[in-house]
Amino acid sequence: MATVLTINGETKSFDAPPDMPLLWVLRDILGMTGTKFGCGIAQCGACTVHVDGKAVRSCVLPVSAVENRAVTTIEAVGNTPAGAKVQKAWLEAEVIQCGYCQSGQIMAAAALLAATPNPDDSDIDAAMAGNICRCGTYVRIREAIKQAANGRQS
Amino acid sequence: MSGKMRILAGIVVIAIVAAALGVFIIRGPGPLDFAGGTKVALADYRAGKPTGVPPKLEKAGIVERGEYLTKAADCMVCHTKPGEKQYSGGLAFKLPFGTLYSTNITPDKDTGIGNYSDQDFLNAVQHGKRRDGARLYPAMPYTSYTFMTDEDVLAVKAYLFSRPAVRAKAPDNTLSFPFNQRWAMTFWSAVFNPDTRFAPDTSKSPEWNRGAYLAEALAHCGECHTPRNLGFALDNRRKFAGAITAGWRAFNISSDKATGLGNWSDQDLISYLSLGHAPGHGSASGPMGEAVDNSFSHFTPEDIRAIVAYLRSVPPQASPDLPATTAPVAPASHRDGITADARGKQVFASACASCHGWSGESPVSPMATLTGTWAVNDPAATNVAQIVISGTKRHTPDGALSMPAFGKAYTDDEIAAVANYVTARFGAKGSKLTAKDVAELREQTAE
Repeated sequence: MATVLTINGETKSFDAPPDMPLLWVLRDILGMTGTKFGCGIAQCGACTVHVDGKAVRSCVLPVSAVENRAVTTIEAVGNTPAGAKVQKAWLEAEVIQCGYCQSGQIMAAAALLAATPNPDDSDIDAAMAGNICRCGTYVRIREAIKQAANGRQS
Repeated sequence: MSGKMRILAGIVVIAIVAAALGVFIIRGPGPLDFAGGTKVALADYRAGKPTGVPPKLEKAGIVERGEYLTKAADCMVCHTKPGEKQYSGGLAFKLPFGTLYSTNITPDKDTGIGNYSDQDFLNAVQHGKRRDGARLYPAMPYTSYTFMTDEDVLAVKAYLFSRPAVRAKAPDNTLSFPFNQRWAMTFWSAVFNPDTRFAPDTSKSPEWNRGAYLAEALAHCGECHTPRNLGFALDNRRKFAGAITAGWRAFNISSDKATGLGNWSDQDLISYLSLGHAPGHGSASGPMGEAVDNSFSHFTPEDIRAIVAYLRSVPPQASPDLPATTAPVAPASHRDGITADARGKQVFASACASCHGWSGESPVSPMATLTGTWAVNDPAATNVAQIVISGTKRHTPDGALSMPAFGKAYTDDEIAAVANYVTARFGAKGSKLTAKDVAELREQTAE
């Protein structure tokens, strides 16, 4: 039986077992490889996507759990106001080093700003603590989130 | 008779009476004594058929009937070590006085039960006696299975014997003296094994009787949910009041309004037993998650309803350490609500918040919602710490949902901190776990 999902505003229909993680559907079935596989147990944040606007880890989320819910991925987060601001700030602050975790970082930051437009350090800690960066770009991530929030150029 | 002899005889009589009284007091009531109605032999019961398989399997062969009953008795969960072949044994039960290993119940002739005759199998399941005459430890719940009919026990045997033989020898038990003296179990069994088959209660409905048979003879709910007495047997004076088993808290399932099942609707109970989740009450994990996956989820809907009808009739027992009501949803922002435990909050933000949310209502799945569960409302935080240590993997109709095990990733200190934070934020009263408590919980978990 075909599964139908709404991803980035588009309806996608495909065959997948109900317990297949959303991440596998995105990457292996739909070819949307912007979302990354990191740990596979919701502990690194590389696979973060939005479901109904909230940041969730797609590697542990069975596809059956997101039917009838709006999924947004890194490919389209730039179309949301918060996502656009975050991406702009990310480029300006030169956040990225190797880049592997960054689509997850951007998704988490965009969800944070959508819910909390002016986050302080404790808000950033609470929202971003589950997104790990092995290059250690945390200082620039924090800076870029603040830039995105107040629209200030660096 | 001389005066001395009379005194001696008097002392002997007093000793016998005292011993009998002691046994009577320690043993307490049987698991079904609370019902109080008139019991009749199964053969004389005409109102329905409380034993055996549900009507749709009545015409099935013995192996198929045995499969249903084996699952209903949940033989698999104890007789399978995770990652090993089904029913091949070797699961370790860590007790305060050593480790006990479950046995291989596949039909292998050397290491399993391949040489068991029907009578041997009945002796083991109903009387706690091994084929070689040795006594079983009561980790094998034969004091519950003793209520099964011979027909049902032998159907279980037929099913087990229809499965592949697996050569696997369980490690030797490491129990310390005096617990390594199996012969002593003869006395335990004489006192605590009712050694009787199920007798229907004519004052109750056929549905209740079916539920009683399923819950007592097969599903053996009391083995985890009833506290134990001085002799490590079930204390049915506090039937279904809840207990700690294998390091997890089996909560109160008596009909108590506040801390038992009194405020669960029938639909909640049906959903929890058949799917392992009920909205507002949380999800089954640990040993109960296994019981749902391996056993209750295979019950027919009418058998689930029969268990619910039976559970409703068990007299209320309060759990005074639990709050009268579970805590409401926590604030959506990390800033509001309990924030005292900085370390616990830090661990929660890194490892937990992405699935459980700051409010306790999961953005991912209702299965992962913490609000309303006894686990987070238990001021001892036993199951919160356990699930952090061991994780969970549950099969639901919508597919598998899992939580990773953090036992190897976090120290005892960190696990205590996050459990204290979680119970304070999402429960009625925060726990005060220490690293030592967490270390002890790790020790008790079966593996």
